[in-house]
Amino acid sequence: MRKYLARRAVFALVTLLGVSLTVFVILRILPGDPLVAILGVEGHARMTPADRVRIMADLGFSDPLPVQYARWLVDIGAGRLGRSFFRGDTVADLIARRGPITAEIAFLALFVSWLVGLPVGILSAFKPNSLPDGAARAISVLFIAIPGFWLGMLIVLALLFWFGYKAPIIIVQVWENPWQNLQIVLGPAVVLGLAQGAYIARMSRSCLLEVISEDFVRTARAKGLKEWLVVMRHALPNALLPVITISGVLLGFVLGGSVAVEQAFGVPGLGRAMVTAVIERDIIVVQNLVLLYAVIFVGVNVLVDLSYAWLDPRIRYS
Amino acid sequence: MAVRTAEPPAAVVSEAAPRASVLTELARFSRRNTLAALGGAVGLFTIFVALAAPLLAPYDPLKADFRAMNKPPNAQHVLGTDQVGRDTLSRVIYGARTSLFVAFSAVILGTTVGSLWGVACGYLRGRFDLVSQRVMEIMQSFPDLILAMAISMAIGTGLSAVIFAIAITRIPFGGRVIRSVALSVREMPYVEAGRASGASALRVMTFHVLPQCVAPYLVLATTHLGVAIVIEAALGFLGVGVPPPTPTWGNMLADSITALVPPWWLAFYPGLAITVTVLAFNLLGDGIRDTLDPRLSPAFLRMMTGGRRT
Repeated sequence: MRKYLARRAVFALVTLLGVSLTVFVILRILPGDPLVAILGVEGHARMTPADRVRIMADLGFSDPLPVQYARWLVDIGAGRLGRSFFRGDTVADLIARRGPITAEIAFLALFVSWLVGLPVGILSAFKPNSLPDGAARAISVLFIAIPGFWLGMLIVLALLFWFGYKAPIIIVQVWENPWQNLQIVLGPAVVLGLAQGAYIARMSRSCLLEVISEDFVRTARAKGLKEWLVVMRHALPNALLPVITISGVLLGFVLGGSVAVEQAFGVPGLGRAMVTAVIERDIIVVQNLVLLYAVIFVGVNVLVDLSYAWLDPRIRYS
Repeated sequence: MAVRTAEPPAAVVSEAAPRASVLTELARFSRRNTLAALGGAVGLFTIFVALAAPLLAPYDPLKADFRAMNKPPNAQHVLGTDQVGRDTLSRVIYGARTSLFVAFSAVILGTTVGSLWGVACGYLRGRFDLVSQRVMEIMQSFPDLILAMAISMAIGTGLSAVIFAIAITRIPFGGRVIRSVALSVREMPYVEAGRASGASALRVMTFHVLPQCVAPYLVLATTHLGVAIVIEAALGFLGVGVPPPTPTWGNMLADSITALVPPWWLAFYPGLAITVTVLAFNLLGDGIRDTLDPRLSPAFLRMMTGGRRT
């Protein structure tokens, strides 16, 4: 296990290094002149050459690219994430203030997806091709197709029209006022959770059906166990592994999807910060936020792999 | 010549059945997959609407009409008008143009590049494959939407930038699936025969391995159309996609929430268009996968679940 852990950690580190290099290439090299990226072509043209040189030096953009990249890595290591070009607050502050909201949304969404998806998947697999199974599959196909941000908009509108209700749009942390905080994060979490729940239901259904046709399940049935015991005790634990893994993959959907869903609900989370930064072309903020998203995504997938290896010894020893 | 080599896979797939005409083939497909056929029909309808937009749209999608601002659906404007009096139905119809054009271009571009890369990985193996695998892994380390946002910000928001940004996010999916196909195809006797008769690696890849990848390629492309449409809409919704005034389903939704009290018809119909189109392409993709290449399904599953380890 320790060897597997070490190997996985090294792989993750290499990936993260590649990720940081990719972010750097996309945001610092692709646009050519970073000032053009920040100010747009017209804004750039309006500046005097002296101003340009001064700002470039201020931002550290006038050094050779490898030096810039190395300095960025060192800065990240030291926890210095730079500051917004337009707003003056540091990226670290931004993450500390908005990160918890998005993290809450992601965890709640995960919770909702298992809460909804797993029972539906189990019920479907109990009686495949029955009416409830058909209904469950139709609904999950529908929820996979509905864009989360649209569903979010409709929910906001419906609450506003029919109940005159509007969730608070300020940042309220859970430790400040749990009730208000819940009103903020519940909507996005449910919308994202339902879409993921659809995938979980699909996955758990097909995995359960696959496991149910195996010999040990027939043995369990043959010795006279009740059907629900056969499924719950013998089939389910073996079918859950891929479902756990897909949760890791789905986290990517949640992180990406939450950007748009937060916008739809007007939730002041990390996703909103990302959108604002992209629209304002705030390179330093975008660069660090994109990296943060990728680091979280890679980190979660490492955790998923580890849990997989922990639950399934075949992987550990291969 | 390349056109002729594209033929065999269809025959390979339906080996047992005698060659039937395209129509009977289609009829059989739709009898077995009613939902997929329905999805295909709706998808074709959307494509038709997009192509025939100038003929179908009752109004100019860009023309503001200040006598008819914010009108709910009525006899003149079936789906209502927006804040500056533009006809919603016409904008939804023209939006299909942008959305489908972006989605199709991005998916074809991304999946093609990814597939060619995948064929090279699977056939050549060795160090090239190893490095490519790491690179694809890195590309998949970003949530799709985040990566697309960053790229389109870097290269500027325009039609081609959005297409390019979405295409990049599709590359690793094509690469991984097609790589696994190529890995198994390269071990087949006829490929070995080609190698033994002295064909170069490039020749073997193009004429022996590539044709076998056409079926999975089609499956991949169809299944990713829906994703691409959603990403395009999300980019538009966030204000970093195809810029207004060009109507897209995404930026129509973005327009609708700028109002203090958003008119429901502006929020509802563009989203409905997205959902119906995505649903149609998803159903079609599932059906095509089940028919064309049932083997792909578990492979795809494995790629989604444990493939990261290989």
